[in-house]
Amino acid sequence: MKKGRWRIYLPFTLNEIKSNLAYKGSFYLFILCSCFGAFISYYLWMAIYGSSETGVLGGLTRNEMILYVFMTYVTSNIVNVGVVGYIENDVREGAVVMNLIKPIDYRLSLISKALGVVVYRFLAPSIFVWIGLEIYKVTVLGMKVVSVKDALLYLLSAFFSVLIYQLFDFCFGLMAFVTTYMFGLKMAKNALVGFLTGQLIPISFFPEVFQKVFDFLPFSSMIYTPVMVYLGKYSGEALAAVLLRQVFWIVLLYVLGTFLWQKITKRLIVLGG
Amino acid sequence: MVIEVNNVSKEFVSPKKYPGLKGAIKGLFSNEKVRKMAVDDISFSIEEGEIVGYIGSNGAGKSTTIKMMTGILTPTSGQCLIRGIDPSKERKKNAQNIGVVFGQRTQLWWDLPLSESFSILKEIYNVSDEDYESQMKFLNEVLELEEFWTRPVRNLSLGQRMRADLGAALLHNPKVLYLDEPTIGLDLVVKDNIRKAIREINQKYKTTVILTTHDIEDIEELCSRIIIIDDGKKIYDGSLENLKEKYGVTRKVTMEVKNLKEALQVDLSSDLNVSKEAYEVTTDKATNSVEVTFDKHCLSISDVIAQYMKRTEVKDIQIQETELSEIVKEIYNHGMEKETKQSEEGMVS
Repeated sequence: MKKGRWRIYLPFTLNEIKSNLAYKGSFYLFILCSCFGAFISYYLWMAIYGSSETGVLGGLTRNEMILYVFMTYVTSNIVNVGVVGYIENDVREGAVVMNLIKPIDYRLSLISKALGVVVYRFLAPSIFVWIGLEIYKVTVLGMKVVSVKDALLYLLSAFFSVLIYQLFDFCFGLMAFVTTYMFGLKMAKNALVGFLTGQLIPISFFPEVFQKVFDFLPFSSMIYTPVMVYLGKYSGEALAAVLLRQVFWIVLLYVLGTFLWQKITKRLIVLGG
Repeated sequence: MVIEVNNVSKEFVSPKKYPGLKGAIKGLFSNEKVRKMAVDDISFSIEEGEIVGYIGSNGAGKSTTIKMMTGILTPTSGQCLIRGIDPSKERKKNAQNIGVVFGQRTQLWWDLPLSESFSILKEIYNVSDEDYESQMKFLNEVLELEEFWTRPVRNLSLGQRMRADLGAALLHNPKVLYLDEPTIGLDLVVKDNIRKAIREINQKYKTTVILTTHDIEDIEELCSRIIIIDDGKKIYDGSLENLKEKYGVTRKVTMEVKNLKEALQVDLSSDLNVSKEAYEVTTDKATNSVEVTFDKHCLSISDVIAQYMKRTEVKDIQIQETELSEIVKEIYNHGMEKETKQSEEGMVS
């Protein structure tokens, strides 16, 4: 039966990859826009390092900061794939009904769909940007290529991040059942996530107290952790600790999502007759 | 007993809305709630193989009941049992046994060819290859899905989509089939095909079917039993014949006569010795016809016709019993009168 379970959700993933391929225009625009973002923060940081005297800021050297900026880009591309859009659509169009009449788990079907987008984003553009970054690292910065071990650890951590983000997004998205309109909330969430995940500014730049608070929240496990793992900032016990913290968040958010879903379905109102 | 619904109620609570911009601002600060009993203490049970028409006016609570029986909504109180399973507690387990068609929505994948939607459903419901093949053969016979088998669902006409949706709901050969307005917006031929398919499926697999519809013909052709609800309450549960017997007591005879004046001389109350309230006569000069509407318990058709034939030459006779649609309309109106009274009482602004 366990084997069969995954087979059920596979079509959702494949289907999503297919429909993403269908909308090429929006895809290229997406890459372009997010690339702009990455380059803006690259030039900003370079200016900051240029005017700094120490050469090490927030525990990161100039070269590490270049890697940080672009690896954050690579990571956020695959991690920031939410399910809230699907939920919002389903709620607004009343399509949630059609999902509930099938013997499938609503959350798993959503996450399977989102994983389709993750796979797609990983293949294009993330993996190419990553390869490009490695080439740049060796040829221009004169650093060594990432070790197989670090690359694998990064992928593992990034996979955890994907799960954390989606499980979190599911909990957040359930608000759509209450408010039915999510635009403002989504904007607020994106701003908060950009800040708290370390996507905009590495968490090590914040004062000690804030770092502690951020550590306590699930957001730092979403993007900051895998990127720092990639940079080799953790080793031994510290590495095990951050990975375990990611697992902890996966479990906690999973349980929370299950609980909220049960609450929400009790008071579910279906729009559109 | 395949379906048991015991004292089920569903109450919707929504924040109170006030009219206008002022009202919108007021709404921000008010915490008043509006409660509405969509379904009010309904009970019934349905045997295997029955086709039951579940009817009521718009907003009577039909769809809400269906949604509770399928596990989409949780009853505020009471319990549904579908083959012994409480769908609000074990939605997924229940979903394996049921098929659902919501006429106004589709469960198919909009962008995919129909064939792919079916292969996804095959996986979801865990249908074996042999079962899939034999079921598809049967569905193709009754619903003729091959015609548009490879077309994306978004390109299908409404009739084709409805056939496809019905097929999709039946792929896993469910024991219970819920049809929420399956013939809405379809042309006569397609309606007929859909009905034929439902009948065939019911006969072949003894599938229990619950059907909500506004199309009286659906009910007359398919249902042996109907349940009528109004304003969330069950107001009738029984056979179609019974309903007609109980409410459909009026008959209408239309006679085309040669001479209208002669026909008007007929006075049924004195000739047949009945009260004037028992019948009603209207005449139509354009077609030279007389229309007599009467209670069949007070007057017999033959007596009425005989009286007219005595006085004048009758060229053509038409006899109509009350149509089911009239009966249903009557029942709905009755319920609505009650409602307007209530709202008038409670109205201030």
